[in-house]
Amino acid sequence: MASNQTQYKNLTPSNKLDKKTLNKMVWRSLFLQASFNYERMQAAGWLYAILPGLQKIHKDKDDLSTSMQHNLEFFNTHPFLVTFVMGIVLAMEEKKTEINSIRAVRVAAMGPLGGIGDALFWYTLVPITAGITANMAMDGSILGPILFLLIFNGVQFAVRYFLMYWSYDLGSKAIGVLTAHAKEFTRAATMLGVFIVGALTSNYGGTTIATTLENGDSPIVIQGILDGVLPKMIPLALTILLFWLMKKKGWTPVKCICLLLVIGIVGGFFKVFA
Amino acid sequence: MEYNIIQILLVGIVAFIAGIDQFNFLESLYQPIVVGPVVGAILGDLQTGLVVGGAYQLMTIGNMPVGGAQPPNAVIGGIMATVFAVTSNLEIEVALGLAVPFALIGQYAVTLIFTIMSPLMAKADQAAIKADGAAIAKLNYFAMGMLGLFFAIVCVLGLVGGSAVGNTLSNLSQEYTWFMNGLSAAGGMMRYVGFATLLRIMLSNDSWGIYFAGFAAATIIGSIDGLSGPCLILVAFIGVAIAINEFQTSIRIKSNLKIAGNGGEEDGI
Repeated sequence: MASNQTQYKNLTPSNKLDKKTLNKMVWRSLFLQASFNYERMQAAGWLYAILPGLQKIHKDKDDLSTSMQHNLEFFNTHPFLVTFVMGIVLAMEEKKTEINSIRAVRVAAMGPLGGIGDALFWYTLVPITAGITANMAMDGSILGPILFLLIFNGVQFAVRYFLMYWSYDLGSKAIGVLTAHAKEFTRAATMLGVFIVGALTSNYGGTTIATTLENGDSPIVIQGILDGVLPKMIPLALTILLFWLMKKKGWTPVKCICLLLVIGIVGGFFKVFA
Repeated sequence: MEYNIIQILLVGIVAFIAGIDQFNFLESLYQPIVVGPVVGAILGDLQTGLVVGGAYQLMTIGNMPVGGAQPPNAVIGGIMATVFAVTSNLEIEVALGLAVPFALIGQYAVTLIFTIMSPLMAKADQAAIKADGAAIAKLNYFAMGMLGLFFAIVCVLGLVGGSAVGNTLSNLSQEYTWFMNGLSAAGGMMRYVGFATLLRIMLSNDSWGIYFAGFAAATIIGSIDGLSGPCLILVAFIGVAIAINEFQTSIRIKSNLKIAGNGGEEDGI
């Protein structure tokens, strides 16, 4: 469970991370989605990736534990752009920024990158390179796959390294200014985080009802009625229900997952969900 | 055509690596254009592998795993299409068709593993409390191993059993469609647990409005054709503007209080 601590015990900023550690984390970022799952998506892979940095930053074992716990919360961003989020978060961890601020910045940074990365990689780089090289392969040229791998990975690694160093630098500079108003910054960053989680609820929320009611020639589409009241109503309602169950009833995430599994499979049996 | 144990093993290893690579590592080794020729070479027909890999690649270009949706799995699809094309000297199109049931099985496997890994996050939490980095690493390796192993088994079965296995698999999966649909519906809902966990920590009673505002902004922008891709970027612009405004306002209040000479420690919140 996430600890409710808001401050690290040792508030002395740690030394800057050395190149070796940063490079190691770039490599580890390749395994961001290793334990991808529906609940927290890339969370455990994210923690795995920044762990070398966290271990260097937090010499106090309790602080390391606190940091690992909050870095294990829901996380999802574009796998090729993740080092951007890593750089900023590491810069904040290093300055022992308030944990709520780190969390908020992490959430705010991860969301928008998904769209940028998809546009850059899946809609642009892959169709162009794969399109050209696939035709070469179909003509029987072994150069096709080799060129594809070289171009794709060349771009991928350039982006990963560049973003890591750039955002780590950027983060280090920006935070120095912001610590003068740490409390106000935390509050504003948390607002942005909550705003983004609201956006994710709608943007990632895909649960819809497939049931239609017989009504002569014009069957009643339940989802259509729901959309008329409030689009994305089901994702919103479920999120608030789960929030209530966890906050007020003390449910654990595992218990919530079991509830959803039951709803999903029973619903699947009656063909409720689209 | 019969294959020796080494060839079967090698195809299994390729499937294992490709299964992992589809979400991790280089995220490009798994593409049909790469896997096709490799499998072709193992089975003794590089040329056919190249052609099938290229053809399957073109087929999948419009079918990328964008935004977390799971299309029929291109990894198993690519491997099996090559196997069928080489083994049975089939027309490329026929081989691609025969590979589809296997691609569907691959899609189911991914859904299943993503579901199983959700409750395992509680184990990760335990490791984090103990500051046990090795346990976090192990959990990640375990999940990758499981994914790779599943892919290797399906592909080896397909190589040994031929398209008959594909038919059996697709019949089986048709019988349990309701279960798999239910599972992926539940899978689609589990992210709400992740959101709720974040809200439980971040949301104070006075910020519900902000939460709903973010929801509204994303819903509006996301429903406009052509903006669903960049939706979250646009939403972030709005959110950043609100946050900066809040930040500057509270700093101004703080400095005004100081000038007035009654600035307390507890202001702003």
